Amino acid sequence: MRQRYLFSLFWLLLLPAFTWAQTLTVRGVVKDATTGEGLPGVTVLVKGTQNGTASQADGAYSIAVPSTDAVLTFSYIGYLPLELPVGGKSVLDANLKVDNKSLDEVVVVGYGTVAKSDVTGSVASLKGSELNKQPASSVDQLLQGKIAGVQVVAPSGEPGAGATVRIRGSSSINGSNSPLLVVDGFPWGDAGNLKQINPEDIASIEVLKDASSAAIYGSRGANGVILITTKRGKAGKTSITLSTLNTLSTLPSKLDVWSDPVDVAVIDNESRRNAGLAPLFVGENYLGTYYPSVAELRGEDPNKPAWPYRTYWPDEVYRNPFSQSYTLTATGGTDRTKFSMSGNYYREEGLAIKNYYDRYNGRLNLEQKLTDKLTAGVNLILTHTQRNGGSLSADRSPVFPIYNPDGTYFRIGPRDFGNPVAYANEVLNKNKTIDVLGTLFVSYDITKWLNFRTQLSDKYGNSIGDVYEPRNITNTGYLYNGFGVIDNYSSNELLSENYFTVNKNFNEIHNLNVVAGYTTQTFNIRTSRLEGRGFINDALENENLNTALTQYTTNGLTKSLLNSYIGRVNYSLLDRYLFTFTSRADGSSKFGANNKWAFFPSAAVAWKLNEEAFLRAVPTISEAKVRVSYGLTGNQGISPYQTLDRLGAGRYYTGGNFQTGFGPGIFGYDGFNKIWEGVPNPDLKWETTSQLDAGLDLGFLNQRITLSADVYYKRTRDLLRQTYITPSSGYDRLWVNDGVIENKGVELGLNAEILNGPVQWSVGGNFTLNRNKLISMGEDNFVWNGSSIEMLRAPVNAYIVGEPINVFYGYKTNGIIQTEEEGRASGLTGDMARPGEIKYVDLNGDGAVNDQDRTIIGNPNPKFLYSLNTSLRHKGFDLSAQFYGVSGNDVFDMRKFSPSRQLQRWTPDNPTNDYPSVNATRAYYGSDWFVTSGSFMRIQNVTLGYNFKSNMIKGLETLRIYFSGSNLYTFTGFHKGFDPEVPYNGLQYGSYPRPRALSVGVNIGI
Amino acid sequence: MKRITQLGLAAAVALLAGCSLQEEPYGFNSTTNFYKTEADANAALVYAYAILPEIEYYSRNFILITELPTENITLKPDAGASNFEFDRLAVRPDNPELTTAWRYAYIGVNRANAVIANVPGITEMSDASRNQLVGEAHFLRALHYFNIVRLFGAAPVHTTPVTSLDQTSSARATMQEIYALITDDLKKSIELTDAVRRDGRANKVAAWGLLAKVDLTLASGKATNSPGYDFVPNADALYAEAKTYAGNVLSNSGSYGLDPSLKAIFDVDKKNGPEHIFDVATDRSGLSEGNYSKLPLMFIPYIDGAVFKLADSTSVRSGYNHFVTEPALYNSFAADDKRKTELIPSRVYVGNKETVLSITGYSRPFTRKYLDPKQVGEQTSANTPVLRYSDVLLLYAEACGPTAEGYAAVNRIRTRAGLTNLQPGLSVTAFRDAVIQERAWELAFEGNRLFDLRRTHKMEEVLVQKYGKTIQPDNAYFFATPTRETDLNPNL
Repeated sequence: MRQRYLFSLFWLLLLPAFTWAQTLTVRGVVKDATTGEGLPGVTVLVKGTQNGTASQADGAYSIAVPSTDAVLTFSYIGYLPLELPVGGKSVLDANLKVDNKSLDEVVVVGYGTVAKSDVTGSVASLKGSELNKQPASSVDQLLQGKIAGVQVVAPSGEPGAGATVRIRGSSSINGSNSPLLVVDGFPWGDAGNLKQINPEDIASIEVLKDASSAAIYGSRGANGVILITTKRGKAGKTSITLSTLNTLSTLPSKLDVWSDPVDVAVIDNESRRNAGLAPLFVGENYLGTYYPSVAELRGEDPNKPAWPYRTYWPDEVYRNPFSQSYTLTATGGTDRTKFSMSGNYYREEGLAIKNYYDRYNGRLNLEQKLTDKLTAGVNLILTHTQRNGGSLSADRSPVFPIYNPDGTYFRIGPRDFGNPVAYANEVLNKNKTIDVLGTLFVSYDITKWLNFRTQLSDKYGNSIGDVYEPRNITNTGYLYNGFGVIDNYSSNELLSENYFTVNKNFNEIHNLNVVAGYTTQTFNIRTSRLEGRGFINDALENENLNTALTQYTTNGLTKSLLNSYIGRVNYSLLDRYLFTFTSRADGSSKFGANNKWAFFPSAAVAWKLNEEAFLRAVPTISEAKVRVSYGLTGNQGISPYQTLDRLGAGRYYTGGNFQTGFGPGIFGYDGFNKIWEGVPNPDLKWETTSQLDAGLDLGFLNQRITLSADVYYKRTRDLLRQTYITPSSGYDRLWVNDGVIENKGVELGLNAEILNGPVQWSVGGNFTLNRNKLISMGEDNFVWNGSSIEMLRAPVNAYIVGEPINVFYGYKTNGIIQTEEEGRASGLTGDMARPGEIKYVDLNGDGAVNDQDRTIIGNPNPKFLYSLNTSLRHKGFDLSAQFYGVSGNDVFDMRKFSPSRQLQRWTPDNPTNDYPSVNATRAYYGSDWFVTSGSFMRIQNVTLGYNFKSNMIKGLETLRIYFSGSNLYTFTGFHKGFDPEVPYNGLQYGSYPRPRALSVGVNIGI
Repeated sequence: MKRITQLGLAAAVALLAGCSLQEEPYGFNSTTNFYKTEADANAALVYAYAILPEIEYYSRNFILITELPTENITLKPDAGASNFEFDRLAVRPDNPELTTAWRYAYIGVNRANAVIANVPGITEMSDASRNQLVGEAHFLRALHYFNIVRLFGAAPVHTTPVTSLDQTSSARATMQEIYALITDDLKKSIELTDAVRRDGRANKVAAWGLLAKVDLTLASGKATNSPGYDFVPNADALYAEAKTYAGNVLSNSGSYGLDPSLKAIFDVDKKNGPEHIFDVATDRSGLSEGNYSKLPLMFIPYIDGAVFKLADSTSVRSGYNHFVTEPALYNSFAADDKRKTELIPSRVYVGNKETVLSITGYSRPFTRKYLDPKQVGEQTSANTPVLRYSDVLLLYAEACGPTAEGYAAVNRIRTRAGLTNLQPGLSVTAFRDAVIQERAWELAFEGNRLFDLRRTHKMEEVLVQKYGKTIQPDNAYFFATPTRETDLNPNL
């Protein structure tokens, strides 16, 4: 639009030359029919003549016409042409509509771009402007509900918390399931925690879902690819914009915590009595703490004054935080130099006191034409973040105060370290990061149709964590007499990409686009951790770890190398039949000696039916394309060095001190247990996913209504798995490739412009359905996924052959035991058969409830996801809303017996079947009693904005003010007071609350 | 221009493609670059020892699986089911603690094998040092196989380190073959090592003592017809050999002897006391569990989380109350047996308030054999004894039988415990039974009782008939080979 502005100025100068020569003049304003903004530089012609003009900066035009029945034509790139008869009027306004089917709209596909209409694979595209305006420290969270086939789970409302991103389900059990994230062509790593990019800087986000589109990323493409492209400069006048977003957040709902001291005392006494323990709230001291009696708490004890404390912990622990974001962007350039730069300050305060996340971000994209054929450029992203504090618990007894009378923190007993206010104030818990991504590129047009591009990128990341736990505040601090840590992490990745692009059209019939090249990427991660235990006092925190009684240091370095050859051929015949062949060969140092190179081919075919004569005759159908693709992609989530013979190290106390030893067997951790490894596997390789995708793109009424549908089948083999090896060898586990998993599903996306007159109303939505099934796992049919949960003395999630991943495994229940006989009859014994206990089902009917009676009791994988959005525009106003829903998933609710439910407990007088009696020492089994439906629909975002007319305030080209509300309401049958969006594995412990955020944003363009 | 670009590209590709996909380890030694110097040899042996104090071996699991089946200890009521399987002698082959015991013994074997295979090739050291290190490794390998064969009977044997997948599965060796390897290893150890005391390490004296125990296991197994010992040719010859080796310990070891004070034996500040022939060493200054021990916390009762005192003012921090003393053992002591009155305290003091721990209560009288009053956090310096002088003295008595030497040996133990001499004139069987009972009192909680009952064919007699326990099949004399091994080893 900017370059048009220059043209309009040019036309303005010429304008007087026309006006005096004519007699009849028509005036008016050309506007964007959608936004109502004036369009500068629109060509206005008297039809059938060479007589024309261009609109001014505010869209105004004036033209002389030969007669009153002349016809004016308005044309402008990116808009549909319009013809209007003058019909004797002297004022004629024109509303131009955006041409949705714009041919020059391109989609980034990795190592190149293609016209949107020529896409053969399953590629979804999102403009940066379509992201919700809400505080989000990581971009991934903003993708929730935006794209069919992409599941984003963001269970935590903590500032700086990431999200779990899945494209078309999970296809690995031990490797990563996160899509590959690529930022401006640089393979960044696993999606889920992209904090380094300011959402305001994003021009577009593309998601590569099928094998054909993702195969260009080879052994990293199996989980799909998310491409993020930041804003580029354009030739034209420099535009400077300032965007601000100020947000006030609140707790979304009242928490289910104890509020009445009397309730706490009654329940606590009852649960101790039920466990055969002496009750505490009897008006006596116990381990140094006075526990008032129930009567005293009620104020019914004549000998005692009213109990002075009634601490409502949510009020002490949570606040209504204020968050801010300011972005200043400058974009512009000439024909030879183009630039886009921005700076951002972002501060998100958490709901928990003292908890915040700050980000400073700078970006520069600069491109210079050195000669007509040679272009060079730099892309630079700099990010600094700082986090302080974290989650705090508000589940604490309201009976007791925060502070002692002397100002020290109140403790319930000598080993109580649960005071959240003490924790927030006294524990040092900070993290700082610096990230730099720099790219230098040279692009050379060897001929008109052949281009060579070489680029060198470096990504550097550094993080420093500071922790200090004072002796009187945390258990660790108490055990060690002060515990301080400095955690250092730095990573460096160097990437060189070199590729040729051929773009050639033969006789308007054959169109060929070829990409071929070579890339190499090195990865270096250095870590160190300095730990000090035992300090004279807490004054220095972790500032001088050398003064600690015991110092403990660990460090590490992992290096790996990935060499790749890439190739892609896009061929289209008659602009109707499209063929794509893509392949990548990856050689990784992480693969075993016998499997150093992996090859990932794919192919896709698409047929643009709308270009066929029989459909051209149907003008209502503006697009009709069928697509089919098949190919291989990989996943290389292996740790380095698994293919080498390595010795372990350990220490033994002899000769009056510890001595260091080396020998066979390396201590490791398989995620849940201590293990010993070190036998090399020279056959270790990547996981391979084969995927078949069939899609249909339909557009009606010049793309007013568009529909995109895909079905897919993904089968992943050679699953990376740690198999057990014969224990008498002296080793436990070894990484191997066996196992098969499949995902199949359907994705639908629909957009409709229902009204496109002065009032514009559009509705869109998407639908995602995925079915996941584990087909085999080598010799195993059942493997727990997760460590034992303290409360249940067993894990909950399991990998079971023939089932979806992460199903819940445990006991079935049938209400609450009402009588001792009923308990015994159900096969229970001892305390577990007592009235008021949970009635577990003797599933195999052998007369005893034991671990043979366990079965699948729930599935955390949703049946489907859906999202709806709608927007309404009139004049300068716009109103949009987005709804997001998850349906058919189960949640294992660890917090099921929350305080409000303990008040509804089983008692002889309240023989409920919903909740058991309270019992201080009950041993729970993992059972379907904890399993609850996790379906929900959330009003994710509502935004109301107003765009002021250009230059309404002098010097401001654009001015937009908007109000945005996020997480406004959630429709759900889930546990009241808790958020139904729980981690991917379905286990809900009660995470950091997701705030309800109310924001005001201002965008100013100069 | 085009040519220049192509040349540039070719150069860039050549440069970058030059990076090899071969992995080079960082921060790891590998077999090829290690075992070069005397320091390497020392470190190899240190690593072989370092498996012993792991929580999965002598600092918890070994004590758990050997003590729970006996009349010595049981568990707090809410302990895990797999622990209770040991207490009830109903251990299934997939029991995690059983699997752990198997795994860690073999991890120890592999580490000892690495020393035995690699250290003899190191030339840059004196013969004496090399012999000492290799001799200790033979001792360690013998100890691990002795544990394996006593727990499981016939089992796979590796005598070289495993470095590749095709070496991981060995066939099962018979008990006879395993005992031959153990005896051979210990004889090599006796030949190669000196008698110098080094804390936490074995020497010639330890090898004598362990060989005496091995011989006596075979001898008593054969003599009592205990299952599995048919292969032993001659019990009397082995009793005689056991007497010789145990006698070597008693007569040739200047710095070892009976400690006159029972409490001093288990004082963590007196680890160089005369009784300690071979201990698994730990120290509270260690950085991770396995360097220090948390074993005491398993035995120490939980007194409301408080720090409490014993009658002699020893300060004790509340423990896990996980292992609790059984009345069977506690009530079997004579009332004035110092091993009960001094080593199993029943009175604790929180402030001035005295609490008497009942042997049938939740928190019971507990052993102070594992106790570190200077415990830091949960880190203690409590060593786990493997071979004590009194153990060897009782082995000697058992080997001698009811002779003057035999009576003298057992009576030294009884005298120290404040008891009268053993009744004279006992038959051979009655005498040896009395020695086994003496071992039960003397070595309680130290991981000996289960093996003593097994090798003397007394599992049913003592545990079932006397103490009313039940024993499931595959539990009495050997535990079953863990499922993980039987599932994965095609050569079994």
